[in-house]
Amino acid sequence: MKKARCLVLLLLGSLGSWSAARAQDVVLVANKSVKISEITNADLRAIFIGTKTRFADGSHAVPVTLKGGPAHEVFLKHYVGENPEEFRSQWRKLVFTGQGAMPRAFGSESALIEYVADTPGALGYASRISSHDNVKLLAAVK
Amino acid sequence: MIVEGPGYDSDQPPDGSKPKDLTHRCKAVLHRKAPPIHSGQGRGGGSVPGCMYLFLFLFFLVCTCRESVCAQDLNGIVVHAYVSQGFLFSSNNNYLSMKSSDGSLQWTDAAVNISDSLADNLRVGIQLHMYQLGEFGGSNVQVDWALGDYRVNDNFGIRAGKVKTVWGLFNDSQDIDAVFLWILLPQGSYSIDHKSFYLAHIGGDVYGGLPLGKKAGTLHYVGYAGQATVDLNDGYIKQFANLGLIFTSSLGGKTYGGDLRWETPVQGLTIGSSADVQAVDGTAPTGSVHLPPTLTPSFYAQFSRRKVYLAGEYDRIPINATLTIESTVIPFVEDGRSWFAMGSYRLCKNVQVGSYYSHYVNKAADTTQPANHSKDFVVSGRYDFNPYFYAKIEGHFLHGTALGYYSDTNPNGLAPDSKMLSAKIGFTF
Repeated sequence: MKKARCLVLLLLGSLGSWSAARAQDVVLVANKSVKISEITNADLRAIFIGTKTRFADGSHAVPVTLKGGPAHEVFLKHYVGENPEEFRSQWRKLVFTGQGAMPRAFGSESALIEYVADTPGALGYASRISSHDNVKLLAAVK
Repeated sequence: MIVEGPGYDSDQPPDGSKPKDLTHRCKAVLHRKAPPIHSGQGRGGGSVPGCMYLFLFLFFLVCTCRESVCAQDLNGIVVHAYVSQGFLFSSNNNYLSMKSSDGSLQWTDAAVNISDSLADNLRVGIQLHMYQLGEFGGSNVQVDWALGDYRVNDNFGIRAGKVKTVWGLFNDSQDIDAVFLWILLPQGSYSIDHKSFYLAHIGGDVYGGLPLGKKAGTLHYVGYAGQATVDLNDGYIKQFANLGLIFTSSLGGKTYGGDLRWETPVQGLTIGSSADVQAVDGTAPTGSVHLPPTLTPSFYAQFSRRKVYLAGEYDRIPINATLTIESTVIPFVEDGRSWFAMGSYRLCKNVQVGSYYSHYVNKAADTTQPANHSKDFVVSGRYDFNPYFYAKIEGHFLHGTALGYYSDTNPNGLAPDSKMLSAKIGFTF
Protein backbone atom coordinates (compact mmCIF):
# COMPACT_ATOMS: atom_id res chain seq x y z
CA MET A 1 0.00 0.00 0.00
CA LYS A 2 2.85 2.29 0.98
CA LYS A 3 4.67 1.45 -2.23
CA ALA A 4 1.53 2.13 -4.30
CA ARG A 5 1.04 5.50 -2.59
CA CYS A 6 4.65 6.43 -3.30
CA LEU A 7 4.25 5.40 -6.88
CA VAL A 8 1.15 7.56 -7.27
CA LEU A 9 2.89 10.53 -5.66
CA LEU A 10 5.93 10.03 -7.87
CA LEU A 11 3.71 9.85 -10.93
CA LEU A 12 1.79 12.98 -9.97
CA GLY A 13 5.01 14.82 -9.25
CA SER A 14 6.50 13.86 -12.57
CA LEU A 15 3.33 14.94 -14.37
CA GLY A 16 3.48 18.30 -12.65
CA SER A 17 7.12 18.85 -13.48
CA TRP A 18 6.46 17.63 -17.03
CA SER A 19 3.65 20.21 -17.44
CA ALA A 20 5.87 22.98 -16.08
CA ALA A 21 8.73 21.87 -18.31
CA ARG A 22 6.44 21.96 -21.40
CA ALA A 23 5.72 25.63 -20.86
CA GLN A 24 9.42 26.26 -21.26
CA ASP A 25 9.69 24.14 -24.38
CA VAL A 26 8.85 26.98 -26.75
CA VAL A 27 11.03 29.95 -27.63
CA LEU A 28 9.83 33.12 -29.31
CA VAL A 29 11.80 34.05 -32.41
CA ALA A 30 11.73 37.28 -34.36
CA ASN A 31 13.41 38.84 -37.32
CA LYS A 32 16.51 40.85 -36.38
CA SER A 33 14.81 44.02 -37.60
CA VAL A 34 12.45 43.79 -34.60
CA LYS A 35 13.80 46.26 -32.08
CA ILE A 36 12.05 45.05 -28.94
CA SER A 37 13.65 42.34 -26.84
CA GLU A 38 10.60 41.40 -24.81
CA ILE A 39 6.87 41.25 -25.42
CA THR A 40 3.96 41.07 -23.01
CA ASN A 41 1.73 38.01 -23.00
CA ALA A 42 -1.22 40.27 -23.84
CA ASP A 43 0.49 41.75 -26.89
CA LEU A 44 1.65 38.32 -28.01
CA ARG A 45 -1.88 36.96 -27.82
CA ALA A 46 -3.35 40.01 -29.56
CA ILE A 47 -0.88 39.72 -32.45
CA PHE A 48 -1.59 36.04 -32.95
CA ILE A 49 -5.38 36.46 -32.89
CA GLY A 50 -5.22 39.40 -35.28
CA THR A 51 -6.40 42.24 -33.05
CA LYS A 52 -2.98 43.87 -33.05
CA THR A 53 -0.69 44.31 -36.02
CA ARG A 54 2.13 46.23 -34.37
CA PHE A 55 4.71 45.73 -31.68
CA ALA A 56 4.82 48.05 -28.68
CA ASP A 57 7.30 50.29 -30.52
CA GLY A 58 4.83 50.77 -33.39
CA SER A 59 6.66 48.63 -35.92
CA HIS A 60 4.69 46.20 -38.05
CA ALA A 61 4.37 42.63 -36.74
CA VAL A 62 4.09 39.63 -39.06
CA PRO A 63 2.98 36.58 -37.06
CA VAL A 64 3.81 33.15 -38.46
CA THR A 65 2.79 29.77 -37.13
CA LEU A 66 3.46 26.08 -37.44
CA LYS A 67 0.81 23.87 -38.99
CA GLY A 68 0.85 21.53 -36.03
CA GLY A 69 3.06 19.62 -33.64
CA PRO A 70 3.99 19.87 -29.96
CA ALA A 71 5.57 23.32 -30.17
CA HIS A 72 2.46 24.68 -31.91
CA GLU A 73 0.15 23.22 -29.28
CA VAL A 74 2.27 24.43 -26.38
CA PHE A 75 2.53 27.92 -27.84
CA LEU A 76 -1.22 28.21 -28.44
CA LYS A 77 -2.05 26.80 -25.02
CA HIS A 78 0.29 28.98 -23.00
CA TYR A 79 0.39 32.22 -24.97
CA VAL A 80 -2.87 32.39 -26.94
CA GLY A 81 -5.12 30.38 -24.64
CA GLU A 82 -6.68 28.36 -27.45
CA ASN A 83 -6.39 24.89 -28.87
CA PRO A 84 -5.29 24.49 -32.52
CA GLU A 85 -8.84 23.83 -33.75
CA GLU A 86 -10.32 26.98 -32.20
CA PHE A 87 -7.31 29.00 -33.38
CA ARG A 88 -7.85 27.78 -36.93
CA SER A 89 -11.63 28.45 -36.81
CA GLN A 90 -11.12 31.93 -35.51
CA TRP A 91 -8.75 32.81 -38.35
CA ARG A 92 -11.01 31.20 -40.91
CA LYS A 93 -13.82 33.45 -39.70
CA LEU A 94 -11.66 36.50 -40.29
CA VAL A 95 -10.56 35.26 -43.72
CA PHE A 96 -14.02 34.34 -45.00
CA THR A 97 -15.61 37.58 -43.73
CA GLY A 98 -12.87 39.67 -45.35
CA GLN A 99 -11.62 40.97 -42.02
CA GLY A 100 -8.16 39.48 -42.00
CA ALA A 101 -5.47 37.40 -43.63
CA MET A 102 -4.39 34.12 -42.09
CA PRO A 103 -0.81 34.01 -40.77
CA ARG A 104 1.54 31.95 -42.88
CA ALA A 105 1.86 28.44 -41.54
CA PHE A 106 4.84 26.16 -41.95
CA GLY A 107 5.13 22.43 -41.80
CA SER A 108 8.49 22.44 -40.06
CA GLU A 109 10.33 24.56 -37.53
CA SER A 110 13.29 24.97 -39.85
CA ALA A 111 11.08 26.45 -42.57
CA LEU A 112 9.47 28.78 -40.04
CA ILE A 113 12.81 29.94 -38.69
CA GLU A 114 14.14 30.51 -42.20
CA TYR A 115 11.09 32.64 -43.06
CA VAL A 116 11.37 34.62 -39.84
CA ALA A 117 15.03 35.28 -40.58
CA ASP A 118 14.19 36.61 -44.06
CA THR A 119 11.07 38.64 -43.27
CA PRO A 120 11.19 42.04 -41.56
CA GLY A 121 8.82 42.15 -38.61
CA ALA A 122 8.25 38.40 -38.53
CA LEU A 123 7.43 36.78 -35.17
CA GLY A 124 7.14 33.06 -34.57
CA TYR A 125 8.05 30.25 -32.21
CA ALA A 126 9.97 27.02 -32.16
CA SER A 127 11.07 24.34 -29.73
CA ARG A 128 14.71 25.33 -30.12
CA ILE A 129 17.05 27.37 -32.25
CA SER A 130 20.70 26.89 -33.09
CA SER A 131 23.51 29.37 -33.22
CA HIS A 132 23.29 29.28 -37.02
CA ASP A 133 19.71 30.57 -37.07
CA ASN A 134 19.74 34.23 -38.02
CA VAL A 135 16.92 35.27 -35.70
CA LYS A 136 16.64 36.92 -32.32
CA LEU A 137 14.96 35.59 -29.21
CA LEU A 138 12.19 37.51 -27.50
CA ALA A 139 11.26 37.12 -23.86
CA ALA A 140 7.59 36.91 -22.93
CA VAL A 141 6.67 38.95 -19.88
CA LYS A 142 3.38 39.35 -18.04
CA MET B 1 -46.14 33.20 -39.67
CA ILE B 2 -46.91 32.30 -43.24
CA VAL B 3 -47.60 34.77 -45.98
CA GLU B 4 -50.37 33.49 -48.12
CA GLY B 5 -50.94 34.53 -51.69
CA PRO B 6 -53.87 34.08 -54.00
CA GLY B 7 -55.10 30.56 -54.16
CA TYR B 8 -53.95 29.51 -50.72
CA ASP B 9 -56.31 27.20 -48.96
CA SER B 10 -57.87 29.32 -46.24
CA ASP B 11 -59.34 26.44 -44.27
CA GLN B 12 -58.54 26.35 -40.57
CA PRO B 13 -54.87 25.44 -40.27
CA PRO B 14 -54.17 22.38 -38.14
CA ASP B 15 -52.04 24.41 -35.73
CA GLY B 16 -55.14 26.19 -34.42
CA SER B 17 -54.34 29.71 -35.58
CA LYS B 18 -57.19 31.86 -36.81
CA PRO B 19 -58.21 31.79 -40.47
CA LYS B 20 -56.54 34.69 -42.19
CA ASP B 21 -58.37 37.51 -43.94
CA LEU B 22 -56.96 39.36 -46.94
CA THR B 23 -54.87 41.69 -44.80
CA HIS B 24 -53.37 38.88 -42.82
CA ARG B 25 -52.72 36.99 -46.02
CA CYS B 26 -50.23 39.62 -47.03
CA LYS B 27 -48.46 39.98 -43.70
CA ALA B 28 -44.89 39.19 -42.91
CA VAL B 29 -43.49 39.59 -46.37
CA LEU B 30 -40.54 41.47 -45.07
CA HIS B 31 -39.53 39.17 -42.33
CA ARG B 32 -39.21 35.54 -41.37
CA LYS B 33 -41.69 33.45 -43.25
CA ALA B 34 -42.07 33.70 -46.91
CA PRO B 35 -45.11 32.97 -48.86
CA PRO B 36 -44.51 29.95 -50.84
CA ILE B 37 -43.35 29.95 -54.36
CA HIS B 38 -45.73 28.64 -56.96
CA SER B 39 -44.62 25.17 -57.91
CA GLY B 40 -43.67 26.40 -61.36
CA GLN B 41 -41.16 28.79 -59.91
CA GLY B 42 -39.39 26.28 -57.80
CA ARG B 43 -35.76 25.55 -58.33
CA GLY B 44 -33.96 22.31 -58.17
CA GLY B 45 -37.07 20.20 -58.67
CA GLY B 46 -35.59 17.60 -56.37
CA SER B 47 -32.58 16.87 -58.63
CA VAL B 48 -29.00 17.10 -57.31
CA PRO B 49 -27.74 20.61 -57.99
CA GLY B 50 -24.95 21.07 -60.54
CA CYS B 51 -22.67 22.45 -57.82
CA MET B 52 -22.52 18.94 -56.40
CA TYR B 53 -20.03 18.18 -59.18
CA LEU B 54 -17.84 21.02 -57.91
CA PHE B 55 -18.08 19.60 -54.43
CA LEU B 56 -17.21 16.11 -55.57
CA PHE B 57 -14.19 17.43 -57.44
CA LEU B 58 -12.93 19.29 -54.40
CA PHE B 59 -13.59 16.25 -52.21
CA PHE B 60 -11.51 14.12 -54.60
CA LEU B 61 -8.78 16.74 -54.46
CA VAL B 62 -8.54 16.73 -50.69
CA CYS B 63 -8.54 12.97 -50.47
CA THR B 64 -5.69 12.56 -52.93
CA CYS B 65 -3.61 15.61 -52.13
CA ARG B 66 -4.15 16.06 -48.39
CA GLU B 67 -0.81 17.45 -47.44
CA SER B 68 -0.60 19.85 -50.36
CA VAL B 69 -4.13 21.23 -50.08
CA CYS B 70 -3.64 24.51 -48.37
CA ALA B 71 -4.06 28.16 -49.17
CA GLN B 72 -2.29 28.69 -52.45
CA ASP B 73 0.11 31.61 -52.14
CA LEU B 74 1.05 32.98 -55.53
CA ASN B 75 3.56 35.72 -54.75
CA GLY B 76 1.38 37.35 -52.14
CA ILE B 77 -2.01 36.43 -53.59
CA VAL B 78 -3.79 34.05 -51.26
CA VAL B 79 -6.75 31.86 -52.19
CA HIS B 80 -9.18 30.25 -49.75
CA ALA B 81 -12.36 28.31 -50.44
CA TYR B 82 -15.08 26.22 -48.86
CA VAL B 83 -17.80 23.89 -50.06
CA SER B 84 -20.50 22.20 -48.01
CA GLN B 85 -23.34 19.84 -48.78
CA GLY B 86 -26.24 19.37 -46.40
CA PHE B 87 -29.12 16.99 -45.85
CA LEU B 88 -32.35 17.69 -43.97
CA PHE B 89 -35.09 15.38 -42.79
CA SER B 90 -38.13 16.52 -40.79
CA SER B 91 -40.79 14.46 -39.08
CA ASN B 92 -43.62 16.92 -39.75
CA ASN B 93 -43.81 19.89 -42.12
CA ASN B 94 -41.37 20.80 -44.85
CA TYR B 95 -38.72 23.25 -43.74
CA LEU B 96 -36.92 26.06 -45.54
CA SER B 97 -38.75 25.38 -48.84
CA MET B 98 -37.21 21.90 -49.02
CA LYS B 99 -39.22 18.68 -49.24
CA SER B 100 -37.56 17.79 -45.97
CA SER B 101 -40.29 15.36 -44.88
CA ASP B 102 -38.95 13.06 -47.61
CA GLY B 103 -35.33 13.98 -46.91
CA SER B 104 -33.74 16.70 -49.02
CA LEU B 105 -30.27 17.36 -50.37
CA GLN B 106 -31.15 20.81 -51.73
CA TRP B 107 -28.59 22.46 -49.51
CA THR B 108 -25.25 23.43 -50.98
CA ASP B 109 -22.84 26.26 -50.30
CA ALA B 110 -19.58 27.22 -51.92
CA ALA B 111 -17.27 30.21 -51.88
CA VAL B 112 -13.82 31.18 -53.01
CA ASN B 113 -11.86 34.26 -52.04
CA ILE B 114 -8.72 35.88 -53.29
CA SER B 115 -6.83 38.50 -51.36
CA ASP B 116 -3.52 40.28 -51.45
CA SER B 117 -1.64 42.50 -49.02
CA LEU B 118 -0.48 45.39 -51.13
CA ALA B 119 1.38 46.96 -48.19
CA ASP B 120 1.80 46.31 -44.46
CA ASN B 121 -1.47 48.06 -43.70
CA LEU B 122 -3.38 47.72 -46.98
CA ARG B 123 -5.23 44.63 -48.06
CA VAL B 124 -7.65 43.99 -50.93
CA GLY B 125 -9.79 41.00 -51.63
CA ILE B 126 -12.95 39.54 -53.11
CA GLN B 127 -15.09 36.55 -52.24
CA LEU B 128 -17.50 34.88 -54.66
CA HIS B 129 -20.32 32.79 -53.27
CA MET B 130 -23.13 30.58 -54.47
CA TYR B 131 -25.73 28.63 -52.54
CA GLN B 132 -28.77 26.48 -53.01
CA LEU B 133 -31.22 26.24 -50.13
CA GLY B 134 -34.40 24.55 -51.21
CA GLU B 135 -35.94 26.91 -53.73
CA PHE B 136 -33.70 29.81 -52.73
CA GLY B 137 -30.36 30.78 -54.04
CA GLY B 138 -29.46 29.28 -57.35
CA SER B 139 -26.56 28.53 -59.59
CA ASN B 140 -25.54 32.13 -60.16
CA VAL B 141 -22.39 33.27 -58.43
CA GLN B 142 -22.58 36.42 -56.35
CA VAL B 143 -20.05 38.75 -54.89
CA ASP B 144 -20.13 37.99 -51.18
CA TRP B 145 -17.70 40.76 -50.31
CA ALA B 146 -15.17 42.85 -52.18
CA LEU B 147 -13.20 45.40 -50.29
CA GLY B 148 -10.10 47.37 -49.59
CA ASP B 149 -8.92 47.41 -46.00
CA TYR B 150 -6.59 50.15 -44.82
CA ARG B 151 -5.43 49.79 -41.24
CA VAL B 152 -4.02 53.10 -40.09
CA ASN B 153 -3.02 51.58 -36.75
CA ASP B 154 -4.45 49.14 -34.22
CA ASN B 155 -6.93 51.78 -33.01
CA PHE B 156 -8.35 52.78 -36.38
CA GLY B 157 -8.94 51.17 -39.74
CA ILE B 158 -11.19 51.65 -42.76
CA ARG B 159 -12.88 49.12 -45.02
CA ALA B 160 -14.77 50.10 -48.15
CA GLY B 161 -16.61 48.20 -50.81
CA LYS B 162 -19.07 45.42 -50.23
CA VAL B 163 -18.48 44.61 -46.58
CA LYS B 164 -19.98 41.97 -44.33
CA THR B 165 -22.19 43.59 -41.69
CA VAL B 166 -21.10 43.15 -38.10
CA TRP B 167 -24.20 42.65 -35.95
CA GLY B 168 -24.61 40.34 -33.00
CA LEU B 169 -22.28 37.42 -32.53
CA PHE B 170 -22.64 35.76 -35.93
CA ASN B 171 -24.28 37.97 -38.58
CA ASP B 172 -21.13 38.53 -40.62
CA SER B 173 -20.06 34.89 -40.45
CA GLN B 174 -23.44 33.11 -40.46
CA ASP B 175 -22.93 31.57 -43.90
CA ILE B 176 -19.45 30.20 -43.18
CA ASP B 177 -20.35 26.66 -42.26
CA ALA B 178 -16.73 25.62 -41.73
CA VAL B 179 -16.22 27.75 -38.62
CA PHE B 180 -19.24 26.53 -36.66
CA LEU B 181 -20.19 23.42 -34.78
CA TRP B 182 -23.82 24.13 -35.72
CA ILE B 183 -25.43 23.31 -39.04
CA LEU B 184 -28.22 25.84 -38.44
CA LEU B 185 -27.61 28.88 -36.28
CA PRO B 186 -30.48 30.01 -34.04
CA GLN B 187 -33.05 30.95 -36.63
CA GLY B 188 -34.76 33.58 -34.50
CA SER B 189 -31.62 35.69 -34.80
CA TYR B 190 -30.03 34.42 -38.02
CA SER B 191 -32.70 33.32 -40.50
CA ILE B 192 -30.88 31.36 -43.17
CA ASP B 193 -33.64 31.99 -45.72
CA HIS B 194 -33.54 35.77 -45.30
CA LYS B 195 -29.88 36.36 -44.70
CA SER B 196 -29.00 38.22 -47.89
CA PHE B 197 -30.57 41.45 -46.70
CA TYR B 198 -28.67 41.51 -43.42
CA LEU B 199 -25.43 39.90 -44.51
CA ALA B 200 -23.56 42.75 -46.16
CA HIS B 201 -23.72 46.36 -47.21
CA ILE B 202 -22.10 48.41 -49.91
CA GLY B 203 -20.39 51.29 -48.21
CA GLY B 204 -17.72 51.74 -45.61
CA ASP B 205 -16.71 50.66 -42.14
CA VAL B 206 -14.46 52.16 -39.53
CA TYR B 207 -13.08 49.78 -36.96
CA GLY B 208 -10.43 49.41 -34.32
CA GLY B 209 -9.50 48.43 -30.78
CA LEU B 210 -9.09 50.75 -27.82
CA PRO B 211 -7.00 49.38 -24.94
CA LEU B 212 -8.59 50.25 -21.60
CA GLY B 213 -5.60 49.40 -19.46
CA LYS B 214 -4.09 46.18 -18.17
CA LYS B 215 -6.96 45.39 -15.84
CA ALA B 216 -9.82 46.62 -18.01
CA GLY B 217 -9.36 44.79 -21.29
CA THR B 218 -9.93 46.18 -24.77
CA LEU B 219 -12.93 47.78 -26.45
CA HIS B 220 -13.39 46.81 -30.10
CA TYR B 221 -15.66 48.91 -32.27
CA VAL B 222 -17.16 48.87 -35.76
CA GLY B 223 -19.22 51.63 -37.35
CA TYR B 224 -20.70 51.41 -40.81
CA ALA B 225 -22.95 53.13 -43.30
CA GLY B 226 -24.05 52.23 -46.76
CA GLN B 227 -26.68 50.55 -48.86
CA ALA B 228 -28.15 47.11 -48.29
CA THR B 229 -29.94 45.18 -51.01
CA VAL B 230 -32.20 42.16 -51.06
CA ASP B 231 -30.83 39.62 -53.48
CA LEU B 232 -33.30 38.62 -56.23
CA ASN B 233 -32.77 34.97 -55.24
CA ASP B 234 -33.63 35.61 -51.60
CA GLY B 235 -36.67 34.42 -49.71
CA TYR B 236 -38.10 37.92 -49.46
CA ILE B 237 -38.34 38.25 -53.25
CA LYS B 238 -40.09 34.88 -53.45
CA GLN B 239 -42.60 36.09 -50.91
CA PHE B 240 -43.48 39.15 -52.95
CA ALA B 241 -43.75 37.13 -56.15
CA ASN B 242 -46.48 35.02 -54.63
CA LEU B 243 -48.46 38.14 -53.82
CA GLY B 244 -48.18 39.39 -57.35
CA LEU B 245 -45.27 41.70 -56.69
CA ILE B 246 -42.71 40.57 -59.24
CA PHE B 247 -39.52 42.48 -58.64
CA THR B 248 -37.09 42.63 -61.52
CA SER B 249 -34.60 44.81 -59.72
CA SER B 250 -33.30 44.39 -56.21
CA LEU B 251 -34.97 46.07 -53.28
CA GLY B 252 -32.82 48.02 -50.94
CA GLY B 253 -32.25 50.97 -48.77
CA LYS B 254 -29.84 52.85 -46.61
CA THR B 255 -28.30 51.17 -43.63
CA TYR B 256 -26.06 52.28 -40.83
CA GLY B 257 -25.08 51.02 -37.44
CA GLY B 258 -22.32 49.83 -35.21
CA ASP B 259 -20.98 47.23 -32.84
CA LEU B 260 -19.13 47.58 -29.56
CA ARG B 261 -17.58 44.56 -27.94
CA TRP B 262 -15.60 44.53 -24.74
CA GLU B 263 -12.83 41.99 -24.55
CA THR B 264 -12.85 41.76 -20.78
CA PRO B 265 -9.84 41.15 -18.52
CA VAL B 266 -11.20 37.63 -18.01
CA GLN B 267 -9.50 35.76 -20.85
CA GLY B 268 -12.04 34.44 -23.31
CA LEU B 269 -14.99 36.54 -22.08
CA THR B 270 -16.47 39.08 -24.49
CA ILE B 271 -19.57 41.19 -23.93
CA GLY B 272 -21.09 43.38 -26.58
CA SER B 273 -23.94 45.12 -28.27
CA SER B 274 -24.87 46.02 -31.81
CA ALA B 275 -27.41 48.36 -33.37
CA ASP B 276 -28.46 48.36 -37.00
CA VAL B 277 -30.82 50.73 -38.79
CA GLN B 278 -32.21 49.68 -42.12
CA ALA B 279 -34.78 50.96 -44.57
CA VAL B 280 -36.26 49.09 -47.53
CA ASP B 281 -37.98 50.40 -50.62
CA GLY B 282 -38.89 48.56 -53.76
CA THR B 283 -41.18 49.11 -56.71
CA ALA B 284 -42.73 46.39 -58.86
CA PRO B 285 -45.12 46.77 -61.82
CA THR B 286 -48.10 46.00 -59.60
CA GLY B 287 -47.09 47.62 -56.34
CA SER B 288 -44.43 48.58 -53.90
CA VAL B 289 -43.01 47.92 -50.47
CA HIS B 290 -41.80 50.46 -47.95
CA LEU B 291 -40.06 49.90 -44.64
CA PRO B 292 -39.00 53.10 -42.87
CA PRO B 293 -35.64 53.16 -41.08
CA THR B 294 -35.89 50.46 -38.41
CA LEU B 295 -33.60 50.01 -35.43
CA THR B 296 -32.54 46.45 -34.64
CA PRO B 297 -30.56 46.06 -31.39
CA SER B 298 -28.58 43.04 -30.25
CA PHE B 299 -26.98 42.23 -26.89
CA TYR B 300 -24.62 39.32 -26.46
CA ALA B 301 -21.90 37.64 -24.45
CA GLN B 302 -19.57 34.77 -25.18
CA PHE B 303 -16.93 32.83 -23.31
CA SER B 304 -14.37 30.77 -25.20
CA ARG B 305 -11.48 29.06 -23.54
CA ARG B 306 -9.69 25.94 -24.67
CA LYS B 307 -12.35 23.24 -24.87
CA VAL B 308 -15.35 25.21 -23.66
CA TYR B 309 -17.56 27.65 -25.54
CA LEU B 310 -20.59 29.43 -24.08
CA ALA B 311 -22.67 32.19 -25.65
CA GLY B 312 -25.98 33.99 -25.34
CA GLU B 313 -27.69 36.70 -27.32
CA TYR B 314 -30.90 38.75 -27.27
CA ASP B 315 -32.22 40.51 -30.37
CA ARG B 316 -35.23 42.60 -31.22
CA ILE B 317 -36.50 43.15 -34.76
CA PRO B 318 -39.52 45.48 -34.83
CA ILE B 319 -41.14 45.92 -38.23
CA ASN B 320 -43.66 48.52 -39.30
CA ALA B 321 -43.89 48.20 -43.07
CA THR B 322 -46.38 49.04 -45.80
CA LEU B 323 -47.24 46.93 -48.81
CA THR B 324 -49.12 48.45 -51.72
CA ILE B 325 -50.63 45.93 -54.16
CA GLU B 326 -52.67 47.54 -56.90
CA SER B 327 -54.73 50.05 -54.90
CA THR B 328 -54.71 48.09 -51.65
CA VAL B 329 -52.48 49.41 -48.89
CA ILE B 330 -51.61 46.74 -46.36
CA PRO B 331 -49.82 47.62 -43.12
CA PHE B 332 -47.58 45.00 -41.63
CA VAL B 333 -46.54 45.20 -37.99
CA GLU B 334 -44.34 42.66 -36.25
CA ASP B 335 -42.27 42.81 -33.07
CA GLY B 336 -39.81 39.93 -33.31
CA ARG B 337 -37.93 39.17 -30.10
CA SER B 338 -35.44 36.35 -29.99
CA TRP B 339 -32.79 35.00 -27.69
CA PHE B 340 -30.60 31.95 -27.51
CA ALA B 341 -28.19 30.24 -25.13
CA MET B 342 -25.58 27.80 -26.40
CA GLY B 343 -22.67 25.77 -25.18
CA SER B 344 -20.16 23.38 -26.67
CA TYR B 345 -17.26 21.23 -25.54
CA ARG B 346 -14.36 19.75 -27.47
CA LEU B 347 -14.11 16.14 -26.45
CA CYS B 348 -10.85 15.60 -28.30
CA LYS B 349 -8.89 16.96 -31.22
CA ASN B 350 -11.40 15.73 -33.79
CA VAL B 351 -14.72 15.81 -31.95
CA GLN B 352 -16.83 18.70 -30.70
CA VAL B 353 -20.35 18.47 -29.26
CA GLY B 354 -22.82 21.09 -28.16
CA SER B 355 -26.36 22.22 -27.65
CA TYR B 356 -28.46 25.35 -27.84
CA TYR B 357 -31.94 26.61 -27.10
CA SER B 358 -33.42 29.28 -29.36
CA HIS B 359 -36.57 31.24 -28.54
CA TYR B 360 -38.49 33.55 -30.88
CA VAL B 361 -41.85 35.29 -30.45
CA ASN B 362 -43.76 37.92 -32.38
CA LYS B 363 -44.88 40.21 -29.57
CA ALA B 364 -47.24 42.09 -31.91
CA ALA B 365 -49.48 39.02 -32.10
CA ASP B 366 -50.79 36.29 -29.83
CA THR B 367 -47.58 34.51 -28.84
CA THR B 368 -49.45 31.47 -27.59
CA GLN B 369 -50.31 30.58 -31.17
CA PRO B 370 -47.75 28.33 -32.90
CA ALA B 371 -47.70 30.67 -35.90
CA ASN B 372 -46.29 33.41 -33.67
CA HIS B 373 -43.50 31.61 -31.90
CA SER B 374 -40.62 29.25 -32.57
CA LYS B 375 -38.74 27.41 -29.85
CA ASP B 376 -35.95 25.11 -30.87
CA PHE B 377 -33.84 22.76 -28.76
CA VAL B 378 -30.79 21.57 -30.67
CA VAL B 379 -28.00 19.06 -30.15
CA SER B 380 -25.00 18.91 -32.47
CA GLY B 381 -21.82 17.04 -33.12
CA ARG B 382 -18.88 17.70 -35.42
CA TYR B 383 -16.02 15.44 -36.51
CA ASP B 384 -12.93 16.86 -38.20
CA PHE B 385 -11.27 14.21 -40.37
CA ASN B 386 -8.34 16.58 -40.86
CA PRO B 387 -7.89 20.38 -40.88
CA TYR B 388 -9.69 20.58 -44.23
CA PHE B 389 -12.57 18.09 -44.18
CA TYR B 390 -15.35 17.75 -41.63
CA ALA B 391 -18.78 16.30 -41.00
CA LYS B 392 -21.63 17.43 -38.77
CA ILE B 393 -24.86 15.98 -37.48
CA GLU B 394 -27.62 17.88 -35.72
CA GLY B 395 -31.04 17.27 -34.20
CA HIS B 396 -33.78 19.88 -33.79
CA PHE B 397 -36.84 19.69 -31.55
CA LEU B 398 -38.92 22.53 -32.90
CA HIS B 399 -42.07 23.97 -31.37
CA GLY B 400 -44.01 26.62 -33.26
CA THR B 401 -44.22 27.53 -36.93
CA ALA B 402 -43.19 31.19 -36.96
CA LEU B 403 -39.89 30.62 -38.74
CA GLY B 404 -38.75 28.76 -41.83
CA TYR B 405 -42.04 27.44 -43.18
CA TYR B 406 -43.63 28.10 -46.55
CA SER B 407 -47.16 27.26 -47.57
CA ASP B 408 -46.36 25.99 -51.07
CA THR B 409 -44.21 23.22 -49.58
CA ASN B 410 -46.80 22.66 -46.86
CA PRO B 411 -50.10 22.68 -48.82
CA ASN B 412 -51.92 20.74 -46.09
CA GLY B 413 -51.03 23.23 -43.40
CA LEU B 414 -48.55 22.94 -40.57
CA ALA B 415 -48.26 20.76 -37.54
CA PRO B 416 -47.26 22.87 -34.52
CA ASP B 417 -44.21 20.75 -33.67
CA SER B 418 -41.55 19.09 -35.74
CA LYS B 419 -38.38 17.13 -35.21
CA MET B 420 -35.57 17.49 -37.68
CA LEU B 421 -32.33 15.72 -38.42
CA SER B 422 -29.69 17.49 -40.44
CA ALA B 423 -26.24 16.45 -41.61
CA LYS B 424 -23.46 18.18 -43.49
CA ILE B 425 -20.07 17.50 -44.91
CA GLY B 426 -17.71 20.25 -45.86
CA PHE B 427 -14.32 21.04 -47.20
CA THR B 428 -12.30 24.19 -46.65
CA PHE B 429 -8.80 25.52 -47.09
